Amino acid sequence: MSSLVASISFGRWIAIVLAVALVAAFPLFYENPYYMTVIVTGEIVLLLNISWNFILGMAGVWNFAQLAVYALGAYGSGWLMLHETWLPVPLAIVCGGLLAAGISLLLAFPTLRLFGIYTSLLTFSFAEVIQYAATNNPGGLTGGSFGFPAVGGLFPSYGQTSYLRAYYWVCAACCLGGCLAVAWLRRSHLGIALRSARDAPQYTAARGIDLRSARIAAFGLSGFLAGIAGGLYLAFEQSFTTDQMGLTPMSLDVTMLVIGGLGTVTGPIIGTAIVVAIQTWLISYPGWQLTVLGTILLVIVVFVPGGVVGLVVRIDSRIRLWVREDAEPEPSSSSGPP
Amino acid sequence: MTDVVAIIVNGLVYGSIYGLVAIGMTLIYGTLRILDMSQGSMVMIGGYAGWWALSTHGFNPLVALLVAFVLTFVAGTLTELVSVQPLIGRAKSGDFEMVTFITTFAVGIVLANLALQHFGALQQNVPPIVGGVLHVYRGVSITYHELTMAVISVLLMAGLGLVLARTRWGLAIRAVAQDLDASRSLGVPVTRLYPITMGFASALAGVGGVFLGALYFASPTAGDLPLLEALIVVVLGGLGSLSGTLYAAYLVGLMQAFCEVKIGTTWTFPILYAAIVVILVFRPYGLKGSPSEARL
Repeated sequence: MSSLVASISFGRWIAIVLAVALVAAFPLFYENPYYMTVIVTGEIVLLLNISWNFILGMAGVWNFAQLAVYALGAYGSGWLMLHETWLPVPLAIVCGGLLAAGISLLLAFPTLRLFGIYTSLLTFSFAEVIQYAATNNPGGLTGGSFGFPAVGGLFPSYGQTSYLRAYYWVCAACCLGGCLAVAWLRRSHLGIALRSARDAPQYTAARGIDLRSARIAAFGLSGFLAGIAGGLYLAFEQSFTTDQMGLTPMSLDVTMLVIGGLGTVTGPIIGTAIVVAIQTWLISYPGWQLTVLGTILLVIVVFVPGGVVGLVVRIDSRIRLWVREDAEPEPSSSSGPP
Repeated sequence: MTDVVAIIVNGLVYGSIYGLVAIGMTLIYGTLRILDMSQGSMVMIGGYAGWWALSTHGFNPLVALLVAFVLTFVAGTLTELVSVQPLIGRAKSGDFEMVTFITTFAVGIVLANLALQHFGALQQNVPPIVGGVLHVYRGVSITYHELTMAVISVLLMAGLGLVLARTRWGLAIRAVAQDLDASRSLGVPVTRLYPITMGFASALAGVGGVFLGALYFASPTAGDLPLLEALIVVVLGGLGSLSGTLYAAYLVGLMQAFCEVKIGTTWTFPILYAAIVVILVFRPYGLKGSPSEARL
């Protein structure tokens, strides 16, 4: 933890604290129920994206089963909320997260035998199996395409305004926790092992780092976060349909990650904010949403590799270079031959 | 006995369709190392071309097939120019596969939603190419449309094999599949070859779309299911292996027919995908795939 704290400059600390305070105070001044619902849903998607970004961007494992894991988290916690009513709801959500983590861990073993595009195909197939199975609604476990039966949720007795506020804060806290965890993990031994395994697998293995265990741990951690997001979604929306793991949400989430910048800590936040804003903006032209987002995805991948965060970092370093060149005298003019 | 005949007949028909849609993906992956996720949209465009030519204008079925071929050839070429050409030589080899996976996926999303804008979500009826039913054996029957489809699929696949084996273009495609840099230095026009290969593969999917349109409908999402089925087939066969794709197409076709007759349609897809997972665990590069050497 200390290396993370030390790595952030004083100015940036102030910015982070201000941003957190602003986000926390926001619902006190804003009550529009429609946009608050959009924002809370966006926060839950953000938590899912943080978890996906960890395995996809940071560990470089092309895992496309994240939405299925997210759904399993929702179904697991939902089953507990429905049948084990003595269990406090937050605990049910955590249990859903643990179930998702366990399934993600199990998925890691066959997946890590494969390389490259085959990884994504295996995980994609797994996700399809889960989606079809959930749609077929075996034993009434999932509610099929009609959705999971309504559950009480975290705050069953609250009025609309306080209900939205409460969920806003809970989800924001979860996102902050997820972000901090990822930022810390990024600089931990595990994170460094994962990133070097992504960039130079042979070299990493040659240095005696166990790629497999590191990636298995990444599967478990990201599965846990995704499961929590699923449980929060179920508790907030009081329902979970199999559409939630279809191709459309998946392409939206991929768009968010790519626009923000894969493998960065702030990328998911920026990407999710941009895509949710565009979606809300285009809400009256439903057909155009995905056309516009697909085009943006294409343009970003082709012209702005690294996403918005990568672009900002590059511009920032360019400006720093200019500043340094202006401040220092030209080395060649002073040290030429006499 | 009736069940067995039904399984074999339906399996062969399914297998031929899968082969037609999947062979394009294999061709593209084998030469360009791109898993082309826009192939589903090409099936969709082919379906709409069939609907336009057959339903609204009443043209000859051959015209419909030709229109679909030309349209999807152009669409595939444009897709390559937009989503692949700018990326060639930029990323590392492993990244190239994933980045083009995403860009072609984005093209697929845009095409499907443009179709939604233009034609609406309504399903359009596409008439069969040939009418009539052939009774095979005690209640097992096959429409002439399905029979034509199977025959034309086989012919197209055989034609593709001949083109690859005998023509200069085929030679160039195989050379690029083996070694991009070497073929470049020997004067293979790679920047022209890539779009044409992708256009040709897309055109195969487009022709498949006309046939599939009559089986299902022409709709903006008509390409999703064929894309998923083609994915199953190409993975099972081993990405980039043409013969593997053929085996896998008929294997998957027979498996699907078996599941539909014996277990029921709802569990067909979970079983197929579960089979994929199991096969990938034991044969990480599919039935006939190979990790790095030439594939076609």
